Amino acid sequence: MAEESFLTDDLLRQLISVGEVDLLVGIPSLNNVATIANAVAAAEDSFQHAFPRERAVIVNVDSGSNDGTPDAFLNASSHQNSRGRGLTSLRTGHRVVARCDTPSPAAVFRTIVATAELVRAKACAVVSPASPGLSAGWVENLLQPVCRQDFDFVAPLYARQRFDGLLVRQLLYPMSRAIFGRRIRELLATEFGFSGRLASNCANRDAWHEASIQDSPQTWMAATAISSDFRCCQSFLGPKVRPAAGPPTDLVTAIRQAVGALFWCAESQQRFWMQRTGSEPLSTFGPDHELTDEPANVNLERIFELFRCGVAELSPILKTLLNPDTNTEIQHLATLDERSLCFDNTLWARTLYDFAGSYHHALLNRDHLVQALVPLYRGRIYSFFLRHASSSPAEMEADSENLCLELERQKPYLIERWKKPSEVVI
Amino acid sequence: MAESAQSLWYKDAVIYQLHVRTFCDSNNDGIGDFAGLMQKLDYLENLGIDALWLMPFFPSPLRDDGYDIADYTSVHPNYGELKDFKAFLKVAHDRGIRVIIELVLNHTSDQHAWFQESRSSRDNPKRDWYVWSDTDDRYKDARIIFLDTELSNWAWDPVSKSYYWHRFFSHQPDLNYDNPAVFEAMWGVMRFWLDLGVDGFRLDAVPYLVERDGTNCENLPETHTIIRELRKRLDAEYPGKMLLAEANQWPADVSSYFGNGDEFHMAFHFPLMPRIFMAVQLEDRKPIIEILEQTPQIPENSQWCIFLRNHDELTLEMVTDIERDYMYDEYAKDKTMRINLGIRRRLAPMMDNDRRRIELLCVLLMSMPGTPIIYYGDEIGMGDNIYLGDRNGVRTPMQWNGGWNAGFSQADPERLYSPLISNPVYGYQAINVESQKRVPHSLLSWMKKLIEVRKSTRVFSRGSIEFLRPSNHRVLAYVRQLDDEKILIVNNLSSSAQAVELDLRQFKGSIPIEMSGRNLFPRIGDLPYLLTMGPYQSYWFRLRRL
Repeated sequence: MAEESFLTDDLLRQLISVGEVDLLVGIPSLNNVATIANAVAAAEDSFQHAFPRERAVIVNVDSGSNDGTPDAFLNASSHQNSRGRGLTSLRTGHRVVARCDTPSPAAVFRTIVATAELVRAKACAVVSPASPGLSAGWVENLLQPVCRQDFDFVAPLYARQRFDGLLVRQLLYPMSRAIFGRRIRELLATEFGFSGRLASNCANRDAWHEASIQDSPQTWMAATAISSDFRCCQSFLGPKVRPAAGPPTDLVTAIRQAVGALFWCAESQQRFWMQRTGSEPLSTFGPDHELTDEPANVNLERIFELFRCGVAELSPILKTLLNPDTNTEIQHLATLDERSLCFDNTLWARTLYDFAGSYHHALLNRDHLVQALVPLYRGRIYSFFLRHASSSPAEMEADSENLCLELERQKPYLIERWKKPSEVVI
Repeated sequence: MAESAQSLWYKDAVIYQLHVRTFCDSNNDGIGDFAGLMQKLDYLENLGIDALWLMPFFPSPLRDDGYDIADYTSVHPNYGELKDFKAFLKVAHDRGIRVIIELVLNHTSDQHAWFQESRSSRDNPKRDWYVWSDTDDRYKDARIIFLDTELSNWAWDPVSKSYYWHRFFSHQPDLNYDNPAVFEAMWGVMRFWLDLGVDGFRLDAVPYLVERDGTNCENLPETHTIIRELRKRLDAEYPGKMLLAEANQWPADVSSYFGNGDEFHMAFHFPLMPRIFMAVQLEDRKPIIEILEQTPQIPENSQWCIFLRNHDELTLEMVTDIERDYMYDEYAKDKTMRINLGIRRRLAPMMDNDRRRIELLCVLLMSMPGTPIIYYGDEIGMGDNIYLGDRNGVRTPMQWNGGWNAGFSQADPERLYSPLISNPVYGYQAINVESQKRVPHSLLSWMKKLIEVRKSTRVFSRGSIEFLRPSNHRVLAYVRQLDDEKILIVNNLSSSAQAVELDLRQFKGSIPIEMSGRNLFPRIGDLPYLLTMGPYQSYWFRLRRL
């Protein structure tokens, strides 16, 4: 049975007027009335400055804002030529609003990708209006590698505070690097670039319906780009600044979404990564990953307690998921006092691979399985904070690199776990 | 011509620009002349034009195609004698064709008697008729206009051992309008030609008449004072005559040359012209709409002159650097095509000889606000020769037929003032008046029809313009209105078919009648009016309410 089209007639009518474009910037939104105008300005300024001859469109995919975000998008003022003479830009700029009934990131990204394919966009970028640092330079740095250098996927690089983004730096990046063999640092970013070629490749895939990637479709797109041999690169954008307002991050949800997506990608691309060893650096535009030197502001005591309690509560499950030696070590860690806890790279690597293998064999409901990683992640992070309380950014970066190398070194263990489930049975 | 002396004839005119030298040679010396031009007035009358703008035909060393004038009140022997001009003028008037001639106010040839006197000594009575200086460091802020050939606006005169000021070529010294005698002399020149019966003057290079230290020496208030005085005298003694300004400036600066309706009658809209070419190449209406929205209102008795090409390079002075680079990359890939800050090509080659694109540009020319000027030869799609040096590649002999010298002259081909265009695409065997007259769907026949339709109503020449903004940016749509008469013009700027929905609710109930074929289109209602258009297609609809 033919799938009902998810693109609305209203969107199609707008795209008819737009016609073919060279550049597309997608802006997902949900109640971003205060910041959407800045996102529009960033896109239009980048067109004016770096791509004056290219045909361009900005697509706002809104997930049901009730604060007037789409209207604010359409009515945001355009770049004005301060001289008041001559053209403000060579070409008409287009702004298109798409309303997405299903408010999942996957549905939003799918709309952007499908739109890119319909208008035959050559270079595309997705940016988030919630990113405080978003500027014309960001948009330009995401589009340039595709537009001018013929890359297909552009992952961002940020300057982060040294204790920021640890889920990415201590789990997602090292693990994806080891599995897929490409050093893409930011798999969860809200900004990235891609080519029309990649859009065409991704547009009609069944993966858009997969529950595991609904909240992290960009992870899947990156994995697809890598495994389908598209040209990938990274481009430095600038400081990653957290939005001033907004609810605190729910770690359980974040891990379920991010790690679940990563595991699912590993599941679906296993034929690709099983043959690969080591990892390759990517072409990088601008400076590489940067860490800035700010003090941590975390409740270490609480993290430690949550680790210990989590290990205790999930003991039966961990016994199922983990290799016996891994499990024994972790149980031992949970008995140590807060000054002695050291969740080293070797143990962390084996832990992650045990979970990945268990995920592959579906030893548990997969969501529950991934969530069971949360307390162990807390233990790892606690250990990281202890170890690096006084470290310089360079020292922290060196340690992270060691973690990456450890995961790469232990990849044969992952493959072994992948091929046969743990011998422990409940 | 029996007509009200106060008529605004120039607003309703379609003007045809030519150089006598290029049009028709009657005495077989290889150079066009007035007698030859007179023979071709039937053709021009048949085409439907209302006025001729003649490029300079005065005695001159011809180092700048006649804009270096050595005698203002005579005719260059190459083109005949004064009596030939008078005869031509009478026949033109008999056919209802007005004649506009050049008046180069700003400078003369260095061979002009005035300059010869002026340079002869510092005590000569005409010394002060030009701008002299012992140093070359005055007026430092004035830009150099002919960048490809001139390094300075000052030239050293070895005769009088001092510098003289020239905004154009160094052999064209600037007249000094701070000297009232210069003004009176030029007024005398105007009276000479007005007394013969000419209908108007194109005043060349008007922004540069006056110099002042600390300024860029363009568009100074004193210049406007001079023009106002000329206009005052013209209106008092020769009502119904017209002054056309050549001021290559931004619209806001050019509009000041209309004054309060007491300076120029008309002025060229230079910035619009490259943007028409830009819009078609970009397939985007933005350049046209934006420049017209920057164009201020002008007095009721004033009019813009609009054009596609002329004898000069397609100037890219009044565009941004980005726009200029785009135009060079798209229309002048071969650097031989570029000169000064412009492109020295004709209309048809710039359109890659695509008949549809040529027609589209002509439609835009004939339907936008202003008096249109057709450059000779563009009505048949003549080509150019970029290897002829300076801007001579767009000034080749008119191509009348496929025979001897294209019917331009019976002289030996080697004697012609310029080689003919002879390649298989644009050569005179392929592109000529005679063959196009025989074919009802030739470009010439189409142009004639287009002019006829334009002149069927004064809406085009005197009406307002309101841009519609359909979401399809490749479609340029606007409504021209004069009193109750409304015309809807829709242009597809794209090389591919387009669908466009127009919001015409304000015209609800009107019936669009296509003006060329006079066919009815569906009545306008509440819903968006859907049109589908072929590549580069245009519609002109008269909106009738019945």
